[in-house]
Amino acid sequence: MAADLLERDEFLLALNQSLLQATEEHGRIVLVSGDAGIGKTTLVERFVERFVERRPTSVRMLWGACEALFTPRPLGPLYDIAQQAQAPLRVTLEGTSNRATLFAAVLTELTQAPTILVVEDIHWADEATLDLIKYLARRIHQMPTLLILTYRDDDLSRDHPLRLVLGDLPARDVTRLRLRPLSEAAVEALAEQVDRPGADLYRATGGNPFFLTEALAWDSAGVPASISDAVLAQVSRRSPAAQRLLELVSIVPNKIEWWLVEAIGAEDGATLDECLDSGILHLDGEAVGFRHELARQAVESALSPARRRALHAAVVSALLEHGVEQASLARLAHHAAQAQDSALTLRFAPTAAKQASDRGAHREAAEQYRTALRFADNLELNQRAELLEGLAHECFLTGQMSGAIQAGEDALAIWQTLHIPLRVGHNLCWLSRIYWYVGRKAEADHYVDAAVGLLQTLPSDKELAWAYSYRAMFAMLAEEAADAQVWGSRALELAEQLGDDEIVIHALNTRGMARLQAGDKHGQDEVNQSLRLALEHGFEEHAGRAYSNLSSYFVRFRDYANAYDCTSAGTAYCVDRDLDIYTYQMISWRALAALEEGKWASASEDAATVLGAPRVPPINRIQALVTLSWIRVRRGDPDADVLLDEARDLALATGELQRIAPVMAARAEAAWLHGDRARCVAEARIGFDLARAHSNPWALGQLSFWLWRVAALTQPLSGAITPYALQITGDWRAAADAWEQIGCPYEQALALLDGDEPAQRVALTILERLGALPAAEIARRQLRARGARGLPRGPRPTTQANPRGLTPRQLEILLLLAEGLRNSEIADRLSTTPKTVDHHVSAVLAKLEARSRAEAVRLAYELGVLPHSATH
Amino acid sequence: MPRYLVERTFPDGLQIPLTEEGANVCRTVVATNTDDLVTWIHSYVTEDKSQSYCIYDAPSPEAIRRAARRNNLPVDKIIEVQVLDPYFYR
Repeated sequence: MAADLLERDEFLLALNQSLLQATEEHGRIVLVSGDAGIGKTTLVERFVERFVERRPTSVRMLWGACEALFTPRPLGPLYDIAQQAQAPLRVTLEGTSNRATLFAAVLTELTQAPTILVVEDIHWADEATLDLIKYLARRIHQMPTLLILTYRDDDLSRDHPLRLVLGDLPARDVTRLRLRPLSEAAVEALAEQVDRPGADLYRATGGNPFFLTEALAWDSAGVPASISDAVLAQVSRRSPAAQRLLELVSIVPNKIEWWLVEAIGAEDGATLDECLDSGILHLDGEAVGFRHELARQAVESALSPARRRALHAAVVSALLEHGVEQASLARLAHHAAQAQDSALTLRFAPTAAKQASDRGAHREAAEQYRTALRFADNLELNQRAELLEGLAHECFLTGQMSGAIQAGEDALAIWQTLHIPLRVGHNLCWLSRIYWYVGRKAEADHYVDAAVGLLQTLPSDKELAWAYSYRAMFAMLAEEAADAQVWGSRALELAEQLGDDEIVIHALNTRGMARLQAGDKHGQDEVNQSLRLALEHGFEEHAGRAYSNLSSYFVRFRDYANAYDCTSAGTAYCVDRDLDIYTYQMISWRALAALEEGKWASASEDAATVLGAPRVPPINRIQALVTLSWIRVRRGDPDADVLLDEARDLALATGELQRIAPVMAARAEAAWLHGDRARCVAEARIGFDLARAHSNPWALGQLSFWLWRVAALTQPLSGAITPYALQITGDWRAAADAWEQIGCPYEQALALLDGDEPAQRVALTILERLGALPAAEIARRQLRARGARGLPRGPRPTTQANPRGLTPRQLEILLLLAEGLRNSEIADRLSTTPKTVDHHVSAVLAKLEARSRAEAVRLAYELGVLPHSATH
Repeated sequence: MPRYLVERTFPDGLQIPLTEEGANVCRTVVATNTDDLVTWIHSYVTEDKSQSYCIYDAPSPEAIRRAARRNNLPVDKIIEVQVLDPYFYR
């Protein structure tokens, strides 16, 4: 038996099991991973031979592979797949660069018939392909598809983009097959067949099947020291013509078309046959490639730099003669750069960058700009500046913030040297936004002021209107409401004059928010008007911003019902359109709201989602950090301090009350729970001083509360009445009622703590239900101090008995029901459909013999199915 | 990965018999934990079986709570700990 098939039976069976499920129930994903040379491709090929081709009912096969290009072609594997699929998909792929349309076309194709879709080597995948995989994975349930993904896991760095995708796959739909090296026994059995010393072979190859195959073909004495040695020894035995062919094939990742080989050199069919017979190359339709990527790398790395350059130059000129295809821009740029041909690199890399950007492969777009800039020494300055602007933008979109700032500053410097004020103003404005995202308020303000100053000296145009609108936005975000309205009106007026819808939408949104902050309810109409216009004119980003801004307002002003509606509509809209920045902003606000509402489990899930997501700009991490650490503080869980420190450092640099107030309140509360009065005052004071300069009564109330709690403040401050203010004036009962009305149980309990014994007992019950250990301990201490008897000794949760035999999934659903979530929210949380949730809910009701959801929750507590402390 | 001590209370006593049935209970808990990358190292149980002190490796306190919820196990308190081996000088 061949080396690459030993000890693989269990994996073949697992693949077949998954195929059965995919065709008979719902789609499945199989991840096949392992070191290079471990036999991933062989495993899939054997699976197809042994199981798929012998099935009574046929299953369609679609194969795609990612290439080891320095900057891979966007959606490379999809081009392979489209060749094997039906006409509509091919037409869509050639006809559109709109991702949403393309992805939907793939989905439609896959729902047609049972299919095995293999995407190989996804550790090399471009960003758009990874997005496609995520897209399909989320919908795998709806398709009769077995999605097989292979990748090498031996050199995946910690921040490799693939890791995020793998982490994001729906766990219950995934089977993971990690291929291991062959055992020593298997290697020895193999060695015996060819009469070789097994121990040596095992020591040299470590049981790697590819290396073993090469080593078994080794005809000198002993065994080769490395895969490279083994491969190169084999190559050196070939004829000179065959060696030249192998060298050429080695510089083209994956495979090279035969016409291209012919166009470049004198290689003939006989040479090809020689390489095919020896098994080092294999034919794939009209193309030829190395049978194994490790062999290709060995041959390629043995080339001299001069030979390598010459080969790349030959490939690029042959490709050019053949005519430029849209799909091959990345390929042309790759070979041109490897050939060190600056003219050709500058011709193709920027175009490849634009194409990649259009397809949503922003990481690759940034790389193409970087490639172009490496050859840009002799370029005109203005052209160089444009490349830098492109790079800066792509860096921003991929969360490479320091790269974005560097490129943006370089572009700015060039426009300044060239004395082109309009471009200078544009870049100043753009940079101000980036500085804001990384939480550097001083720079953001400085740059936007400079932009306004400069552009005002020029004839009015849209760059100036944008500068006004940005100026207004920064003031609004800092809750300098009056200033924001002045600049917002200026932007609006100029934008209307210029008839520029986009700026009108932007400025209306900002001014509306500023009016809301100032207590003017009509502000909401302006933001809604901005949203309506954005939806009407298709300005998706601005629609996302309107949803996100309104959500933040509702949460900060503790209007949870509206906050819920707004984040639901907003996240649904933004998820569909990949507007990740706004999606995560809204999830952060939703998390903070859930924390305040006592829904700590879902709050911490949401916060963790944001903190684990790629490309969340620093400014948007703050809310999630605060929420997660605040929950830990309130539960008495460990590991809160580190997060609170990070949140404080980020928040203080933004200078914005909306970031600083919650962080300092959380830190003050943590100090109070630790009994550290001095630190409580110090933390609260920082936020308090800032809040006093603003008009947000909630932020001011919250920070005053902590100062008052530790007797550093005796009177509430003037301004709108909040429950905090009621409590400070001594009316704990009114404060507790108000908190109950608003829906903040923890705050309600803290108000009740100021009351008589019955009130304090209620506080203790609430705190225990929330799982708020440290505050419950304080309540217990106070009750004991006043001589109260018969206090519960702490939460007494149930045993692990599960009297009604609920499945883990049903328990999970029950817990979310207990949090008061609706089916659609539960579906969101568990990444499934409301219909499935409906199903589960019915099952839960049946098992508990309950007539309603509320009854189910009540019975669950009574029966001990739900432990009291575990609900939060 | 951080290590945690998890305190749990079982008012009716924690009854895991040293039989195949008990082994199944433990195996189920261990398997459920893996979804949250949580590893149960071992536990100490009081004489009356009403309290347990469990040592876990987990990515975060939230992961421990989530796994506990899935396993329908109570959680009183989670403390982050480090190993001190008194015979480190050997």
